[in-house]
Amino acid sequence: MKESRKGKKIMIITVGLTCFILMAVMFMQFKIVNQTDITSIETMRKTELTTELASWKQKYEETNSKYEETQNKLNEYKNSQQSTEESEKLLEQELEQINKILGKTDVQGQGIIITLKDITQEQATDVSSIKADDLLIIVNALKLAGAEAISINGERIINSTDIVQIKDSFIRINNRQRVLNPYVIKAIGNQAYLEGGLIGSGGHLDDMKNLGHKITIEKSDNITINKYEGEIEAKYME
Amino acid sequence: MNKTHISIVLGILCFILTFGISIQIKTVRNSNSTISQDYEENNLRAEVLRYKEKYDRKYEELERAEEELEIERQKASTEDNELKELEEQIKKGNKLIGFTDVSGSGVTLTLSDSKIPTSSAMVSDLNELLVHDTDVLSVINELKNAGAEAISINGQRLVSTSSITCGGNIITINGERVGAPFEIKAIGLPEQLAALSRIGGYLSILKDYGIGTDLKKSDYIQISKYPKLINFEYAKTINK
Repeated sequence: MKESRKGKKIMIITVGLTCFILMAVMFMQFKIVNQTDITSIETMRKTELTTELASWKQKYEETNSKYEETQNKLNEYKNSQQSTEESEKLLEQELEQINKILGKTDVQGQGIIITLKDITQEQATDVSSIKADDLLIIVNALKLAGAEAISINGERIINSTDIVQIKDSFIRINNRQRVLNPYVIKAIGNQAYLEGGLIGSGGHLDDMKNLGHKITIEKSDNITINKYEGEIEAKYME
Repeated sequence: MNKTHISIVLGILCFILTFGISIQIKTVRNSNSTISQDYEENNLRAEVLRYKEKYDRKYEELERAEEELEIERQKASTEDNELKELEEQIKKGNKLIGFTDVSGSGVTLTLSDSKIPTSSAMVSDLNELLVHDTDVLSVINELKNAGAEAISINGQRLVSTSSITCGGNIITINGERVGAPFEIKAIGLPEQLAALSRIGGYLSILKDYGIGTDLKKSDYIQISKYPKLINFEYAKTINK
């Protein structure tokens, strides 16, 4: 009597344990299947896979170079731990680099100068005048072509820059600077890339030219772009 | 009494197990059906997975290195107030550029291609139903105008050199391809950012075309960093 009860207990425990293990394994499997997101790759064909591979390779390389640069800085700091002067030099170097990217320094280099003259300002015509959207598209094209610094009529374009059309009368940049016709866009970067990124049939500049606006592109080896004059602040992000 | 108890428990367990197993078999069969036997394709697939893993690992290493660098910077600047100030400015600058993960109040905006059936007589141009790069560009411009401090599109952080271009139904940001629907996150004052959906704004124009625009305010939005270098080759700082 006693023994059979004991046997029952053991049996229950064994069965229960087995079930538990099975469930655990199953959940693990579910999780793995979810995580690998394998299905998106599975359905891809060869050309898609090739581009996918290229993009992951590129992502890896870019992250790797960022990692190496961080490592280099790290080593420099570690080596300079003893002297205040060296630390100061390193900190200043880093800050200068940051300010350059932020647009808080005047910069100089090769690049192109694009001048846009609005045809509607000179003669009565029914074509649309040059609008904020046109400038937005040109700035985007310049960034794609690798522009490192851009200004429109002297106003520096930074990360938080907005280009807004105020009624039909003027365009406002950075929430502070009115810009009026003619629009002079300066960009520092590889001249050939910058120019190539803008011209070409079907491009936005070409469309504008066809409307009758006067557009000139001038290459220069020594363009100066002034710094952003406002404050760059962040109140809401931590 | 005891026996029925046991059988019920066992029965339920067995049922759950069978259920689970059949679901699994189904999923596995589903993914199996598309697996091609092409040797080359399978190789490519393995390679993609390998690089994905490599990237994930490198990303973690980068995170660790950046943390260490911050500690070293702090160490280097503890003794001197002037250095402390420099260190603070570096920290702030990196945040403003987009080199750090950030969080704060803001909005999440989802743009999705129109769901109007393409066969509908209302549609004159199929292109009007899709979200274009210029649409995204305009929406981003409006967000910046509304004071957005950090923006990402499908996880891609926008920095000063970011561009948005279109290729087919895919948009390229920071050199990486993202597809619709586009989830745009922005940190800033939520009420101000939400003004994007005002009448006459760009979102309402998109809505008229049937494009899905879903804007949600939130007290807590996370935006990840730009994990790449920004290197200026041509622009040199002028020292006065």
